[in-house]
Amino acid sequence: MTESESRGVSAAGSAAVAPTRRGFISWLAVGWLAFAAGIGAFVTTMARFLFPNVLFEPPSSFKAGYPSDYQVGEVDERWKEKYQIWVVRNTEMTYALITVCTHLGCIPNWLASQNKFKCPCHGSGYYRSGINFEGPTPRPLERAAISISPEDGQIFIEKARKFLYEKGQWTDPAASIKTT
Amino acid sequence: MTAIKDIINWLASPAIAVTLSMVGLVGAMFCKPLWTKKGGILLFATLIGGFAFSFTDPNFRIVASMPDNVPILGMLFLVGFFFWYAMYQAHLNDARLAKGLPPLEKEDSDKKVFTWPDLVYVELISLIVCSIVMILWSIVLKAPLEEPANPGAAPNPAKAPWYFLGLQELLVYFDPWMAGVVLPTLIIVGLMAIPYIDTNPRGNGYFSFRERKWEIVMFCFGFIILWVVLIILGTFLRGPNWNFFGPYEYWDPNKLVPLNNVSVSEIFWVKWLKTALPAFWLKRELPGILLVLFYMGALPGLLSKTLFKRFYEKMGTVRYVVGVNLFLIMLAVPIKMYLRWIFNLKYIVNIQEFSFNI
Amino acid sequence: MNLEKSWRRLQQQVVETQVWKSIFRVGIPNTNRKRVLAVLGNVVLHLHPVKTRKSGVKMRYTWCAGGMTFFLFLVLTFTGLLLMFYYRPTIEYAYGDMLDLREQVPFGIMREMHRWGAHAMVITVWIHMFRVFMTGSYKPPREFNWNVGVVLLVLTLLLSFTGYLLPWDQLAIWAITVGSNMARATPLAGYEGPFAAQIAFNGVNLVTAGSDARFGLLGGRIVGANALLRFYVLHCVFIPLIAAFLMAVHFWRVRKDGGISGPL
Repeated sequence: MTESESRGVSAAGSAAVAPTRRGFISWLAVGWLAFAAGIGAFVTTMARFLFPNVLFEPPSSFKAGYPSDYQVGEVDERWKEKYQIWVVRNTEMTYALITVCTHLGCIPNWLASQNKFKCPCHGSGYYRSGINFEGPTPRPLERAAISISPEDGQIFIEKARKFLYEKGQWTDPAASIKTT
Repeated sequence: MTAIKDIINWLASPAIAVTLSMVGLVGAMFCKPLWTKKGGILLFATLIGGFAFSFTDPNFRIVASMPDNVPILGMLFLVGFFFWYAMYQAHLNDARLAKGLPPLEKEDSDKKVFTWPDLVYVELISLIVCSIVMILWSIVLKAPLEEPANPGAAPNPAKAPWYFLGLQELLVYFDPWMAGVVLPTLIIVGLMAIPYIDTNPRGNGYFSFRERKWEIVMFCFGFIILWVVLIILGTFLRGPNWNFFGPYEYWDPNKLVPLNNVSVSEIFWVKWLKTALPAFWLKRELPGILLVLFYMGALPGLLSKTLFKRFYEKMGTVRYVVGVNLFLIMLAVPIKMYLRWIFNLKYIVNIQEFSFNI
Repeated sequence: MNLEKSWRRLQQQVVETQVWKSIFRVGIPNTNRKRVLAVLGNVVLHLHPVKTRKSGVKMRYTWCAGGMTFFLFLVLTFTGLLLMFYYRPTIEYAYGDMLDLREQVPFGIMREMHRWGAHAMVITVWIHMFRVFMTGSYKPPREFNWNVGVVLLVLTLLLSFTGYLLPWDQLAIWAITVGSNMARATPLAGYEGPFAAQIAFNGVNLVTAGSDARFGLLGGRIVGANALLRFYVLHCVFIPLIAAFLMAVHFWRVRKDGGISGPL
């Protein structure tokens, strides 16, 4: 074997076996990208794992008796414990207020003597209508969908459908029942 | 007697209590005689005396002797004691440093001792003392248990765990996203940034006040006033409906405190210009947005040319920007509290459209 | 003294048995060489260097607040494990188990130890931080260890916070309701937070009460069964593991960054 032959062989061999530097770097880049994507996908599945599809929470709609069960001009607290709903009836309409303070989710108390809802956590206060007037809360209480059930004439309240005052939704026909 | 109690009740109202503790803390730190043994005895006697006097009052006793409030009283005394002890040792060292002597710890830290037995025995003794305290405490005080959980009715007052009561107090003044998310995050970030912002090489490894006045005043302001004092306020002075009650006041659930707060936009447009609020949110909130932009954007630059020139030159741009912003946000907490107390201010920026309230 | 002599002889005999030597290797550490070996040969003591600065041994300088915190962590781990024998993290049983722990279990101070220990640990960790700050011990070369300490402080508060829910009484559920509702106000990620309502696709909000940060934390829209179970797992397994790991890092770095701090 001559010297030139051996050099040619070794040069050809290194070209076939060892990749060029550029090729090596791009394969490395692909490898790292795949690694990063794999980690990203795993983190995403783990995050999604924290959000169950089915919940075993109490039902959010219920029948609340007949309109005549409620006194005009009163804030009725009979559903407060079970469904977190106040039913308020006045001469014009009946509406259902959700008893969750819009500040940090405590349950306010109805203070009949002062004619307001007052939250025990940070002192937010709401009028009978649900509109906030004092304390740190940024917005009024929410109203739940209320209707007369066509089957038996009972009041039907759906907590999952909420009506927000600041979005002008309280005038929605489903947000209250007109007193006839 | 009632007159004294009325005065103390009045002094304890948030605005006055926070002002007094701020002025008192910073003033006291520069008052050398307090940080001697005599000063310590005086401080301790005042604390114990005040506590003993208060304990004769039935309303105070009810709140102070709730089992869950006992550790908070313990914390009050412990933090007080260790604050004095740190300052006491700092002033001892300062006196030595002024004479050109090394700090007290220097001699000790140059010597080394065998871990076994010197350190191991100190650890063992601390461990035994700690165990005895824990066992006695557990035997004497029953862990409280309230009524079973009821998602339909909140207790009045409903309080967060005691170590978060400072944050709960801030919820009165800030929107939840500020008090509950942004400020706690910044507390953590700020604490972590301390070693990188503080470029003062002196006072490393020994108690000293003279060499680190600015840092110590800042840290104690954050820790003592904005954390501990607010916790004490939230624990002992916030009663039903999160209303304020003086230490000797009965927690009356029907106490009536009007809380009609207004935003900057209402003050600017309605009160000053006597027009209706503009409909477009950007125009409506422009005064408040400008205020915030000025405070966070322009003030750091202005300060770097004037009041903080010294710091700007010493720290460099990056450190200065991070440090001054953290400082301004920390200062914004008492500023917003005072705005509430003086002007009944609710929000500086109040963009309901995006739930973005500052 | 004859008595003392025989006591010493007994001691000598004990430490020279094969059993003793197989466990501790060195006998009574009465020479410098044996003192060094006593620390080096012991996996727990090995976190310490064989020699310590004299200032690091003095209470007036260290206040032993960090050591107390670690000891309280051990107390809490131990009492917590004992409580786990009786406690079931479901809304049907949790409160009843609490009553049983109080009424039916002999020497029922474990719950007290756990609760008061948790309060005490929060306090000692603050005092430790205060001491480290006041002695300027966060300065170079200890910046990183200060940061580990800050994370440990946060973990301590989180441990206490997650444990707060477990008794399932009124105090527990409302403290966690108020506390976790703040997550609802996270910008973008909480459904009442700034700009969250603007994240919508075809008019459907993507960040709602059923998909926001708080929901992920509680596993539900309310503080209910899922939240109790999650907080239980976080409290008993997840956070303690992270905290234990970081404590190891913290102690290791104390040693590697020049031992317990002292004047340079």
